[in-house]
Amino acid sequence: MKHPCGLPFFRKAPSFSRTRLPSWLGAVSLLGMAACGSNDEEAPPIEYMCDTDSTLASPAPVGVCGAGDPKLPPEPKFPAEPVCQEIKATKTGPAEDTLDTNLIQTALTQCKGGAVKLVADGERNSFVTGHLTVSNVTLWVDAGVTLYASRDPEQYQKTGNCGRIGISDSGACTDFITMDGVSPAIMGDGVIDGQGGEPLIGHDYSWWQASYALRAIDGSIGNPPLINTTTKTNGMVLYRITLHNSPKFHVKIASTPSYGPTACTTAGDGFTVWGITILTPSKWKNSKGEVLTPSFARNTDGVDPGEGSIAQCGVIACNTISTGDDHIAVKGGHWVSNLIIAHNHFGTGHGMSIGSETFGSYTSPDGVLHRGIENMDVYDLTIDADSRPVGYDAQASDFNGIRVKSDESRGGLVNNITYTDICMRDMTNAILVSTAYNPMFAGTLFPDFRALTFRNLHHVTCKGLSRPVVTLEGFNSTLPLGPVTLDNVVIDNMGKLDVAAEYANIELGPGDVSFYPSGFDVTVTDNRVPGSSAKRTCVFPTLPTPEVPPGWLR
Amino acid sequence: MNGFRKAMRTMHSFSLHRLLAPLLLAGSTAACTTHTTESQGTCVPDPAVSCTVNGFSAEAVHLTGYSCTGAARPDDNSTYIDGVPQGLVCADQAGGGYCCTNFTTQCSYNPVGICDPGTYGYQCLGANRPEALNPAISCNQGVREDNVINFCCSGTERAANCTQSDAIGCAAGITGWICPTGTQPTAQDMGANKSRADLFYLLCPVPTVAANPKYETYCCYTASLVPAGGTCLQDRNVPGCAPGRFGIACYGTDTPEQNFARLNCPDPGVPGISEQGYPATVYCCDYTSN
Repeated sequence: MKHPCGLPFFRKAPSFSRTRLPSWLGAVSLLGMAACGSNDEEAPPIEYMCDTDSTLASPAPVGVCGAGDPKLPPEPKFPAEPVCQEIKATKTGPAEDTLDTNLIQTALTQCKGGAVKLVADGERNSFVTGHLTVSNVTLWVDAGVTLYASRDPEQYQKTGNCGRIGISDSGACTDFITMDGVSPAIMGDGVIDGQGGEPLIGHDYSWWQASYALRAIDGSIGNPPLINTTTKTNGMVLYRITLHNSPKFHVKIASTPSYGPTACTTAGDGFTVWGITILTPSKWKNSKGEVLTPSFARNTDGVDPGEGSIAQCGVIACNTISTGDDHIAVKGGHWVSNLIIAHNHFGTGHGMSIGSETFGSYTSPDGVLHRGIENMDVYDLTIDADSRPVGYDAQASDFNGIRVKSDESRGGLVNNITYTDICMRDMTNAILVSTAYNPMFAGTLFPDFRALTFRNLHHVTCKGLSRPVVTLEGFNSTLPLGPVTLDNVVIDNMGKLDVAAEYANIELGPGDVSFYPSGFDVTVTDNRVPGSSAKRTCVFPTLPTPEVPPGWLR
Repeated sequence: MNGFRKAMRTMHSFSLHRLLAPLLLAGSTAACTTHTTESQGTCVPDPAVSCTVNGFSAEAVHLTGYSCTGAARPDDNSTYIDGVPQGLVCADQAGGGYCCTNFTTQCSYNPVGICDPGTYGYQCLGANRPEALNPAISCNQGVREDNVINFCCSGTERAANCTQSDAIGCAAGITGWICPTGTQPTAQDMGANKSRADLFYLLCPVPTVAANPKYETYCCYTASLVPAGGTCLQDRNVPGCAPGRFGIACYGTDTPEQNFARLNCPDPGVPGISEQGYPATVYCCDYTSN
């Protein structure tokens, strides 16, 4: 079977056959389609929507984003001043002749229940430290101040392999910042920079180059996460801080409400991430002149709830994320429930994602068995692939929209997930629900994807370098996907062949749906009412971006 | 294959189809049987082969039961069209017979797949994995080969093999495993929250007999890819290589240190036989964290 262009054509399944489309394969075939023309002679002319709104500042002024949203708790606040300790910077950049680790850690330890504020002293505006612990305390990085993570791997050494290239050892390093205890917080209009693209001390490669070297074997690099939480953390808060260049994940969250894991009385009791900005890479070249691109910043997920333990009753609101891996990856290796993800703006990244771990189970003190990921409400989200140039090595996966991904080595329950009021631009995968995240992986933890709702979703085209794809796949006949509700879901400029489905129960309507899923073992209930809905009007903010070298295109 | 499928569906309408099937097949389903000879045997649909899976009927999970004679399998007439595998995916049943997909998949039975005893090979395109096509089958970690993935499968659910253990007392940075004697850790034994992929593999030493002699322990690490042209492989049978050390066999003039940066081999290699049975230079090496 060949694509009309002569490319291998994987998406059109023959009668009685079926095709499972991995994202990378889909991207290949789609780029081929885009290069040679339409796969649909009846497709209307492409509508282009390229505007951005520079008045939508990022982060929003205090008190603006989320105001009046009844689902959200009040916006966090900075600590009252004077704070417990204020520390003045002594550096003007990330020089490592001396480190500020002891100075800051001592203050954090002495100020439990209070706050430590890092401030500039004239032109001196930088701190450089190794590992820090923020336990029962607030770390406040003032506007204009940057806290740099040391480039010395020995500052994070755990197993002897931290900073060593070619070694797959996911536990090699400790975190840059570990959060712990009750209501630990990192706040401020300053910056925390992980320096992931800069050469490590004692080596001629960076954290990202060490990670990139393992890409061919999908090795699990042990680079330090920028911010991690211990399993004993309750009510952690990140507020307005800007995060750059994490060596690995930017934020890993394990958190439950202080009153325990079985209830969620107020959103945010478990954790709150509000108004932060993640921009990685933050520069186009490092200090050696090497080009840095999002796809080179491997494993730099933005925010990952549930990565290390259960995460519950969380709010991720009003954030801007542009990075080299998932914008948000909700990890169900333990149990994740009751999350609100609202009013966020994403640029480049691998998607608003669930998985790939969804296998978790947790028996709460009342004896109830909880599984996987459930009860998640995502709304008012923009994802804009055109927010920044990405360089020559950009991959299709750098432009994912909504993803639910797992496979039989790590699958489990995903249920009651709602996506509402979503705008996306120039995604390769607008919606990707895949139970074959890596088809090579063996196991008996089969993905069990159930109720997913997509409502008021509009995907638009600007550069249109690839056509958006929708994939809705259950695992097999015994574990079908669904019910999937598609209500007022409009993907502009799709071809007829750009939707793939299998093993799925899908309900359309009452709002319009611009495509009709079909495939092996797919049941579609069509409740669409013509004229009952209007396409969501999309406004994309101008997102932060590194200075663009001349001549760079996507 | 269309003729084959039509014949299969037609046969379901006959109550005596088991008797009539050979005649029908002989006359109208050459595609089904041309791959077989009298000595190889034939396969026919057989409702007596139960293909119920997890309480789902065979029909609900799109399976058909087959009985075969001789060495024939229902899936051994797989083909490739423009490089795309086409065929049935079949799970062998403990009581005899096969449960096969009732549709053509993009997997082909691979009679020359290198698989452990009791398992058999498939080659699948892209993201097709046999378990998703046929819920009665169980397959191992796939291995990519060009645009297809090779699997070894069985109708019997795979038994747990090695388990990761922190109690083995391995050096920092390498992982402990406890395994039934005769098995060794593989990527598919790794925990569900561990990243694994096509070329991911563990380099393991000569095993140590555990306190319970039915088990062996290993301290393994994830080696980076062998450089292009590298010829060194793990070899657990290097004479005199003590448990806990890494036996390596090299077919070329390269050395283990050149292929595996974490290994240190204090003694020169000596002529020997690799684990695969070929002449090689064999070494006994140690893991080093430096």
